[in-house]
Amino acid sequence: MTNITTWARVKSPWVLHFNSGACNGCDIEVVALLTPKYDVERFGVKLEPSPRHADVLLTTGCVTEQCAERLKRIYEQMPQPKFVVAIGACACAGGVFAGNYSVVGGVDKVIPVNAYIPGCPPRPEAIIDGVVKLLNSLQQPAANKEEVKTDGKQ
Amino acid sequence: MANNDINILKVLEAKNFQIQPGKLGTVAIQAGGGKHRDALKALLEVDEKTAVTAITGIDLGDNIGVYYHVRTSNAFATIQCEVPKDKPTLATITDLVPGAAFHELEVTDLLGVVFVGHPSPGRFVLPDTWPEGVYPLRKDFKPSEIKFNPPSTEDVSLSDDRGLVKIVIGPHHPALLEPEKFAVLVDGETVKNVEPRIGYVHRGVEKAAESKTYLQGVYLVERICGICNSCHATAFVEAVEKILKTEVPPRAKYIRTIILELNRLHSHLLTLGHAGLEIGYETLFQYFWRDREPIMDLTEMVTGNRVISSSLTVGGVRRDIKETDIPKIKATLAALRKKIPFYKQMYENEPSLKMRMQKVGTLSREDALKLCVVGPVARGSGVDIDVRKDEPYEAYGEIPFKEIVYTAGDTWARMNVRMDEVEESINIIEYALDHLPGGAYRVKVPRVVPPGEAVNRVEAPRGELFYYVKSNGTAFPERVKVRTPTFANIPAFLKTAIGENIADVPPNFVSLDPCFSCTDR
Amino acid sequence: MIDYLWLVFRVLVFPGFTFLLFLTMFCDWIERKIEARMQNRMGPSFTGPSGILQPLADFIKLLTKEEITPNDSRKYIFRFAPLFAFSVLVFALCFLPIDGTSVIPDASFGGDLIFVMALISVANFLLFLSGWSSSNPYSSIGAARVLTQFLGYDIPLFLLALAPAFLAGSLTIATIVDSQWIPFVVLAPWAFVLFIITMQAELEKDPFDIPHAESEVVAGHETEYSGGKLAFLKFARDVQIVFGSSLITVLFLGGANGPVFFGLQALWGTLWFVLKVVVIIIISEYMTVLFARLRIDQIVKANWKFMLPLSVLSLLLTIGLAVWVYPMV
Repeated sequence: MTNITTWARVKSPWVLHFNSGACNGCDIEVVALLTPKYDVERFGVKLEPSPRHADVLLTTGCVTEQCAERLKRIYEQMPQPKFVVAIGACACAGGVFAGNYSVVGGVDKVIPVNAYIPGCPPRPEAIIDGVVKLLNSLQQPAANKEEVKTDGKQ
Repeated sequence: MANNDINILKVLEAKNFQIQPGKLGTVAIQAGGGKHRDALKALLEVDEKTAVTAITGIDLGDNIGVYYHVRTSNAFATIQCEVPKDKPTLATITDLVPGAAFHELEVTDLLGVVFVGHPSPGRFVLPDTWPEGVYPLRKDFKPSEIKFNPPSTEDVSLSDDRGLVKIVIGPHHPALLEPEKFAVLVDGETVKNVEPRIGYVHRGVEKAAESKTYLQGVYLVERICGICNSCHATAFVEAVEKILKTEVPPRAKYIRTIILELNRLHSHLLTLGHAGLEIGYETLFQYFWRDREPIMDLTEMVTGNRVISSSLTVGGVRRDIKETDIPKIKATLAALRKKIPFYKQMYENEPSLKMRMQKVGTLSREDALKLCVVGPVARGSGVDIDVRKDEPYEAYGEIPFKEIVYTAGDTWARMNVRMDEVEESINIIEYALDHLPGGAYRVKVPRVVPPGEAVNRVEAPRGELFYYVKSNGTAFPERVKVRTPTFANIPAFLKTAIGENIADVPPNFVSLDPCFSCTDR
Repeated sequence: MIDYLWLVFRVLVFPGFTFLLFLTMFCDWIERKIEARMQNRMGPSFTGPSGILQPLADFIKLLTKEEITPNDSRKYIFRFAPLFAFSVLVFALCFLPIDGTSVIPDASFGGDLIFVMALISVANFLLFLSGWSSSNPYSSIGAARVLTQFLGYDIPLFLLALAPAFLAGSLTIATIVDSQWIPFVVLAPWAFVLFIITMQAELEKDPFDIPHAESEVVAGHETEYSGGKLAFLKFARDVQIVFGSSLITVLFLGGANGPVFFGLQALWGTLWFVLKVVVIIIISEYMTVLFARLRIDQIVKANWKFMLPLSVLSLLLTIGLAVWVYPMV
């Protein structure tokens, strides 16, 4: 039963895209994923309009003060199990905007993040790779836990 | 066509204004003590195309300088006023130029200058939780000392006291790729009013630029907007070069032109496709984005990066175009050119597309002039302004190209302006490649920039992009002011949306090609 | 005893519930694949051979997700509307002769065409309730749009469905199918074309997919749904599409009629039926991909100004032909 569930989850990741104050560089690359050259629907990825339908939250941007509250609420609106991917240097750590007066800097300061995809902006291939790696980590829960443990000890 | 008969210098001299020709554009006008309104009136009287491009606020120590940058059909003037810091008030100009409303709000937010008589004062770009009385662009402001107010917990009311329903579009909404909030008041399905709340993407770029060197500044301003990044870089480096009085080698000018036009190509194709998404025409979106990918590859070939090119630098460009790449670029462009008749026919004749775009968001020529709109929005309403023609920069003065103007003023006209500009862009790139001069592509420039100030305008894909740079003799700029095209175009949407069907809001909106990371900075 | 087991088998396995479930998923896959190919994309490719298991993966995934019920929603309606909509549609499908006879043997009765048509309206109304009960402004608008659209287009749909009834001289689905030794699409092509267009509106597909206009109303009536309830809501929509195509097949393409070469007649009947349904789905998806979405007022106007008069004309023409011309031939 768990095998079937995991299979379904890996094969059907519906994503929600939230821009928390990005420069559009990452966002156009996320949209480019849907288009003929990259076409992520091959992997069953669908861009959903409502947070209630989504499994993976693709977040771009450096998280501005004004957006932080909203980002948190969107995350809370998503049903479990949910995953967050931070796309771009800004979403990973604030990027060039880190330290500005209206910038929180980094998605992980507001919500937990499962995968980081650095780059300014990351290439569409890198985004696909990041999401696929995240999904593959679902398939080996045991190995994954081990890794986390050793990391914790060190 | 630019009306070259009007000489604003003579007009201003006749009215006894204190002027400095050649400073900050064509002319700088000293207009302290409330005379800024008179100067503006004098310009408005002689030229219907007079519009406020930007209002720059700048901390001058004891005073705050407020500079009104005004464009006319053939010149660019700056009206300079100063107000004391302890009592920063100034009369509004929104009654003369309605399009200046947003500019004044921004100066109020960032520098605390109060414009007496502004129709709708209030929080504009700063977050809701921002403390009162703190102005980030004043020099005594310290980012580490801000204490944000707790976020308000009150519920957003979903109806108006007049019994109208309020539909909140944003900050997260499929129609917007970026977080921004528009509260649309509707009566049934008819829009009665639109209340914008921008500032969700405000990252304080103008402040951050003051703590970055000029070279780092190029990197920073490119990240104001990922789509028209080269335009931002060009506008910034040209302004710095104006202060440095550096002459850029001709080859660099041509390469910059090619990069700028590649930028315009990919941006226009993006919007033309995105408009399809907004009217539920997914196939159109997929087709346009399919044909946009080769342009991204070209950008990568020319600059080294797909999206943010980081190719321009003060004194030239970072990379040369290889001779072996030129045939590849031409082949790709030729392939795109072959597809254009199909798309043009699509935009001109496809019935379901016309039903959704024609007579939607109609902006008359008068309103376009009054609201100071720029770029394809203005050109779609019959206002022929294009910085590339009016004040040629880089190699545009030497390259022949058509200025596209449609007169219908609706969404359909604006999209068709872009459609035709795609073809013109291809022409420009091909011409530039054929006439690419030899020689150096970069000159060495000093790291430290002498004191001075400069204004610069560039025609970005969305319209006139304006930069004001002031240096203070160090390696860091004193003030960088950015006025982006979308900032000037949003009032057009707010005006045309009223009275339309709620379903027309997305296509009308996307016809401005909105870019909020530009708007908020 | 055997009779009962046979009945249970027919209802639950073939051609009943399980078969319909997989048929719906298959049709959903075809739809997605065609849309993708028309748009120069690949579509689902790696979930099973050529991505054929994609709808199944989506369905299972949604079933295993957390279900959120908003506090302000009308909870009972919110919970049960998707399930009821789904079951009403599957129930309606059971009256169509998929393998030559209807799913429940001898369930066919005089005037069951009207009964089945009424069931679509009930299903649409349940979809409206699902949006209305979630008390989200976008859901409410989406729900109101569902209502506006199906109230308008039910009338021409019904009038057009009467054309085959007149040609067959009966309101019983089984009789209509049996009398199609020449498919009615040949005898009344105008009614067929109008019926497909009206069905497109009834099924809320482009250019009539106003209730699903992402850029205007987010996800319409589905906005607040998650997990299993969303799975059934989405599935109900897919079943609706299969049902619409099956109805067209039954009324105009002769249902399960077709040559039987060897073996069981029921299997060949099912094959012809499924093939015809797939053809209709391809035509309808083709239209979806080719057009932009219209505006709600344009759609309502198109209904009252064009579809309704045309369907009345079509009905009169068909009656004229059915009574005076075809009997002579």
